[in-house]
Amino acid sequence: MEKRAKKPTRQGLMPAVLTFLGVTVLIVIIALINAPTMGGPRVMASVSTYLEEVKATGIPFMIAVAVLAIILGFFFAREVYKVWPIPKKRKEFLTGYAFLAPYLIVTFLFTIGVIFFAFYISFTDYDIFTRPTWTGLSNYAEAFAGFTDSTKRDFLQSLYNVFWYSLIVLPIQTFLAILLANLLNQPIKFRRFFRTIFYAPSVTSSVVITLIFVWLYLKGGYINYFLQTFLGWFTVDFAGVNWLGDPRGLIQLIVGAFGGEIPSTKWYLRGPSIAWMSIMVQNIFTTIPTFMIMFLAALQDINPALYESASIEGASKSQIFWRITLPLLRPIILLVTVLGTIGTLQVFDQVYLATGGGPLKTSLTPVFLIYQEALGVTGPINMGYASALAFILAMIIFALTFIQRRVLTEGTERY
Amino acid sequence: MKEKTLKRPITSRGEKHTISKIHKKIKVALRYLLLIIIGFIMFLPFIMAFFGTVKTDKEITAFPPKFFPEVWHWENWARVWNTDLGQGGTFPRWLFNTAFLAITVAIAQAIFGSMAAYAFARLKFAGRKLVFNFMLATMMIPGAVTLIPAYVLVSKLKLINTYWSLILPGIVGAGSIFMLTQFFKSIPDELEEAAIIDGASHMQIFRMVIIPLARPAILTVLILQFQGMWNAFLTPLLYLNSPDKYVLNVALSIFQQQYKTQWNLTLVGAMFNAIPVLILFFIFSRYYIEGVAYAGIKG
Repeated sequence: MEKRAKKPTRQGLMPAVLTFLGVTVLIVIIALINAPTMGGPRVMASVSTYLEEVKATGIPFMIAVAVLAIILGFFFAREVYKVWPIPKKRKEFLTGYAFLAPYLIVTFLFTIGVIFFAFYISFTDYDIFTRPTWTGLSNYAEAFAGFTDSTKRDFLQSLYNVFWYSLIVLPIQTFLAILLANLLNQPIKFRRFFRTIFYAPSVTSSVVITLIFVWLYLKGGYINYFLQTFLGWFTVDFAGVNWLGDPRGLIQLIVGAFGGEIPSTKWYLRGPSIAWMSIMVQNIFTTIPTFMIMFLAALQDINPALYESASIEGASKSQIFWRITLPLLRPIILLVTVLGTIGTLQVFDQVYLATGGGPLKTSLTPVFLIYQEALGVTGPINMGYASALAFILAMIIFALTFIQRRVLTEGTERY
Repeated sequence: MKEKTLKRPITSRGEKHTISKIHKKIKVALRYLLLIIIGFIMFLPFIMAFFGTVKTDKEITAFPPKFFPEVWHWENWARVWNTDLGQGGTFPRWLFNTAFLAITVAIAQAIFGSMAAYAFARLKFAGRKLVFNFMLATMMIPGAVTLIPAYVLVSKLKLINTYWSLILPGIVGAGSIFMLTQFFKSIPDELEEAAIIDGASHMQIFRMVIIPLARPAILTVLILQFQGMWNAFLTPLLYLNSPDKYVLNVALSIFQQQYKTQWNLTLVGAMFNAIPVLILFFIFSRYYIEGVAYAGIKG
């Protein structure tokens, strides 16, 4: 008995050691590629020049990763050691990780590795061509400098803009998507055909849609022409608006209508600008169909017996909608709001193409700002600062997702 | 028989019945009218853009704008097709680049995605749940965070301005793996057990049993990934910077900057971009819609 128990021990030892070495070396290589060094042709000329550079700037980073590599290596080695004596388990273990290898390697290189790198450089002053210099929390402090110095308000203003964006866009698009889904869920012929037609605008690229909308929004474009004609019927004179170039804010316009005035130093009181709201309209147009499909699928999943028994009980149509349909749609409403918020905070294409963040930064978004800072579009390259902004943004997204989940699931318990 | 019914006095009940029938018919008609109007509104921007492509340079900037073109100038399409931005930047080239990248990424995601999904759904090994939860956690990471460091990584690997810069990070995706895993789990075990008794290896089961059964899910992944890559803008904008390497989306934004007032030409370019995906969508619409709906229900 004792001999049999000992034999597998020896069997598993060599593979376990090899696994440990393999996993550790692989992670260290991935970490080396992601080490916080400068790039550029001189450093990247050969492996030795690069390693030289890692030695100069990346030692703390490498130590941190090495600890992680050893822990992971140990975990794998222990499992290999355990499963090795049993052929069936060994086979499943090896096949499993062989099949996962492409995913794991690419993810560790392009997701986990780069996040470690980005987190490190968010505490440094970094442009790809010089060595990163440690600056502590100054990048994070800089992001919120707008509270005291209104010339540095870019990031705050971008958050302010997306705040308005989600406040206006999310309810409207969710409401309209539910409405459309309900319309399609009625007993109609050609449901598939209409569903396909409604969804079509969502499959084309945002670049195409944005360019078409930029054209429609021109001063001499269709939208102004349509409004002019339409308002003309009510004998209202409409001069036309430069939709994507008008910085006047919603609240500013309302206050202005009563003869008030908001000074430019109080930019945060002006509300979303006309340019920004024009982009919102376009985005509502393109996201409704996707959410509509999600709602439609959920509606078709609802047990028809529920509706039947409700109508037998004498419930009216609106009662059925508010008391049965809507509560059952809660999970999808949650998903749509979460997806909507994440999408909203990361608007880029439309801003890049339609307004470039202007006018007066009223359509600046966090991701557009990150892009500008990282590539040095408006000033020097600030990759460290851009990374800090990205992490703040990620924290905001996590927090919002968490809160939405809490709020919307708490509501479900009532039913 | 007919006479009899005619002679029968119309009761108030019957009258009510016919009225409610007419009422219902009007309601149904209104419903279809509403559907048609919404469908038309959804397509209106495309229709207007399409008419815009065949207008002259003068017509396109005229105010008030006309809905229909006076003469259909199809030569605009040829003009754009033959435009050369220099350094090999032409529309046929961009079309090829975009299609090549989209097809490569879609196929890679389907292959590596179903491999990983097979491991998650059908194999039992230590750490499986942990890796799966790890994958779900990575799905939460916003793209903005990895954007800059991935750019640094790609530039360190000297892959800037090569197709590899988009293919390499794109060959696997947590989204497609998740979707395929859910589908593989729904395939009954019996088939697999029979294959095991016959002495099949995991590779054989994967290829001969699972893959054929999972065809609809794999096709959905192929289509969604193709569309995702075709419509990608930010990453190609960062990574590919010579005119012969541009994808359509990036090329289009540069084209528009060069031909600022000639919207008819830019709109033709937009059509080159939109028509292939729209055709693909109308052929495979079922898979698109199921993919999106699926993401909604299971997500």
